[in-house]
Amino acid sequence: MKILGIDTSGLVGAVAIADGDLLLSQFSIQYKTTHSEILMPMLDDVCKKIHLDLKSIDAIAVAKGPGSFTGLRIGSATAKGLALALDKPIIPVPTVDGIAYNLYGVEKIICPMMDARRNQVYTGLYTFVAGTPEGKSLEREFEMQIIHEQFATSVEDIAARINEIGKPVVLLGDGVPVYRDQLDKLLKVPYSIAPMHQNRQNAAALVSLAMQYAAEGRMVSADEFAPDYLRLSQAEREAKEKDSAGKAANTGEDVKSGARAGDSSREEPLSEAEREKKRREARKTPGIVRVREMTAEDIEDAALLEKTNLGKEAWTQKQLIDALTRDDTIYLVAVKAGRIVGLCGVQNISGEGEVTNVSVARDCRGEGIGYKMVKQLLERGAGLGIKDYTLEVRAANEPAIHLYERLGFKSEGVRPGFYDEPKDDAVIYWKRNNL
Amino acid sequence: MNIDKNVEDDGVIFMSIKDEEQNKDSAKEGAGDAKSCGKSDEDLLILAIESSCDESAAAVVKNGREVLSNIISSQIALHTVYGGVVPEIASRKHVEKMNGCIRAALSEAKVTLDDIDAVAVTYGPGLVGALLVGVSEAKAIAFATGKPLIGVHHIEGHISANFIENKDLEPPFVCLVVSGGHSHLVVVKDYGVYEIIGQTRDDAAGEAFDKVARAIGLGYPGGPKIDKAAKEGNPDAFSFPQAKIGDAEYDFSFSGLKSSVLNIINQAKMQGQELSQVDVAASFQKAVVEVLVGHAIKACKEYGYDKLAIASGVASNSGLRELMEKECAANNIKFYRPSPVLCTDNAAMIGAAAYYEYKKGVRFGLDMNAVPNLPLGDRERRFHAGK
Repeated sequence: MKILGIDTSGLVGAVAIADGDLLLSQFSIQYKTTHSEILMPMLDDVCKKIHLDLKSIDAIAVAKGPGSFTGLRIGSATAKGLALALDKPIIPVPTVDGIAYNLYGVEKIICPMMDARRNQVYTGLYTFVAGTPEGKSLEREFEMQIIHEQFATSVEDIAARINEIGKPVVLLGDGVPVYRDQLDKLLKVPYSIAPMHQNRQNAAALVSLAMQYAAEGRMVSADEFAPDYLRLSQAEREAKEKDSAGKAANTGEDVKSGARAGDSSREEPLSEAEREKKRREARKTPGIVRVREMTAEDIEDAALLEKTNLGKEAWTQKQLIDALTRDDTIYLVAVKAGRIVGLCGVQNISGEGEVTNVSVARDCRGEGIGYKMVKQLLERGAGLGIKDYTLEVRAANEPAIHLYERLGFKSEGVRPGFYDEPKDDAVIYWKRNNL
Repeated sequence: MNIDKNVEDDGVIFMSIKDEEQNKDSAKEGAGDAKSCGKSDEDLLILAIESSCDESAAAVVKNGREVLSNIISSQIALHTVYGGVVPEIASRKHVEKMNGCIRAALSEAKVTLDDIDAVAVTYGPGLVGALLVGVSEAKAIAFATGKPLIGVHHIEGHISANFIENKDLEPPFVCLVVSGGHSHLVVVKDYGVYEIIGQTRDDAAGEAFDKVARAIGLGYPGGPKIDKAAKEGNPDAFSFPQAKIGDAEYDFSFSGLKSSVLNIINQAKMQGQELSQVDVAASFQKAVVEVLVGHAIKACKEYGYDKLAIASGVASNSGLRELMEKECAANNIKFYRPSPVLCTDNAAMIGAAAYYEYKKGVRFGLDMNAVPNLPLGDRERRFHAGK
């Protein structure tokens, strides 16, 4: 039995080829997530190095999910294309099971965690149970037992489940570094973290597990196979939330905070480097800045902030009150030490959100307040049914342009000479969430 | 072109588009032969794959102009409830449907992968998650079969759709490409050689159709719905502005037009007046179509071309077709257009475009990636094999 295995469910892109119990080759890269560009060249390389005739492969194993939605699709579509062309079946391997199999023979609790964002992890609970093969006295054969099959849950929940079992646990997966501090507080049992050679998706472990599945006949046809995301798409989730919002409205529950901007790219996990950068940024920010919805009491301060920043182009108190009382707008303020230091707002015009104001107090610039504020604004906009966002900015306003570009806005045009005093072009920015 | 339709359990519509003339030809040559597709040694068969938006599609095309099969799995019904294409849902469906489309395309063309000479796929522009499915499948199939791989620009595919039914059409000609995401006026100088002479400064024409349709309560997809409503309305009921761009006479701008339609709707709402949906639709459509046709005819005259083609989604708009036909006839320009079904996203057009790329020796490497904002004309060369 010859199996080709593919795993692109997370930050690791990996392929492995095994023949029976012989691992012929494996290739693994954990460096930026450009699976689309590296997966096929990697496979090509591996096949050439072992002079593999692709037709001799009996099945294609693939991490079936959960994982990064895009990563899963690259692996799945590749597996399906190979299986179609070679006329072979697919062996779908649950991603978390594959990661757990790294720790063959470990009789502690094994808990892989993949960062699923939104403060959740894709996880599961496993352990290995020893048995003695017939006619042997000292040899042991381990079987992986699934205590809890893979699912998406909060860090608190999985920690509580581990505590309930009350046995030492080995943690692994890319979720561990992200939630390490939290886990340290939550766990009430001794824990250890698997070393780097055992703690991520591993195509060799996946193929090894796939050999067992193949023996048990757990294979599907190339056309049948589809990844198991363990999560609905954002739009489906929101539709559900809206549905339950109607019901919750009667009970007075706040459901609006659950609404998010419809950007599929936010499902992508951040790389380690990006996370570290974020942490550094967070440390730099002095003082605590809170972002909340603007209320009538804020109008006076907000108008003053506008006036100080924008002079003639500033919105008046009347305009701000008007904006506040409409139901197609969201206005947020940033508050630092009891003082309003930022203001931003968006108006929904048939599904397009026009960002009407973004102001940060001069002495508080460069602290990431604009980013924090506008990011929340974009997230809350989905609650109004906004899909795409647009705004205009002075061509000379580099810090603002930099901010919008960081938030995913792209320049789509210019209105020449739009602004007066001083004369300047307006750059039209769009953040289109369906592109 | 004939369409066989079948609605599947999940609401996805499976379509097979058949070229009647093609079927006649193959009947003559005797169906049931080993080479029933009529492939001779000089013939070139391309398996083409398209997944840039909400249609999963596969086709087999012979020599760039003969469509042996053209399969489309359309998800449009799934997205209607959300008022537009949801990228994540579209991408998920592509993974589920693509293999079925490819198999159907091969079997309907009565060929196997062994008969195929090259695998072609749309690699941009489009929704990145959606594109990646087609790109990953195409690369895997090309790799597993050892066939050459060709990446195709989606809009070049739309332009090439004109080659399928108009066997006499050859470059150079002017082509107006208008869809939900694009509005381009292009001079097709040679196969695969494009000069963009005009494009939209803001919204694409199709985008304006979608927004206005939503605002007047017609819903998604806006293009066909406005087209239908416009037929019953008075195109002169409202006078909407037709933006002229001073420094670029072939460029378009539709956002002002869109805003002025939205303003009229809001005013009517505030004054409690009832607006005629069909009149707004007809007047809006007229304003868009007049600008599109005006620019295209002017380009033909000034650049000295006597052939004009239209392509992509809005090219199936009946108002556009009618005015275009009239104006072309009046100016002695030969007018080309694909059947409405070939104006939608399909893989046959990708196969047509890929044929001419193949002939030029273009081959892509296995590192080909999806490029969501791939520009037309100035194409991405970094994935070419042997670069």
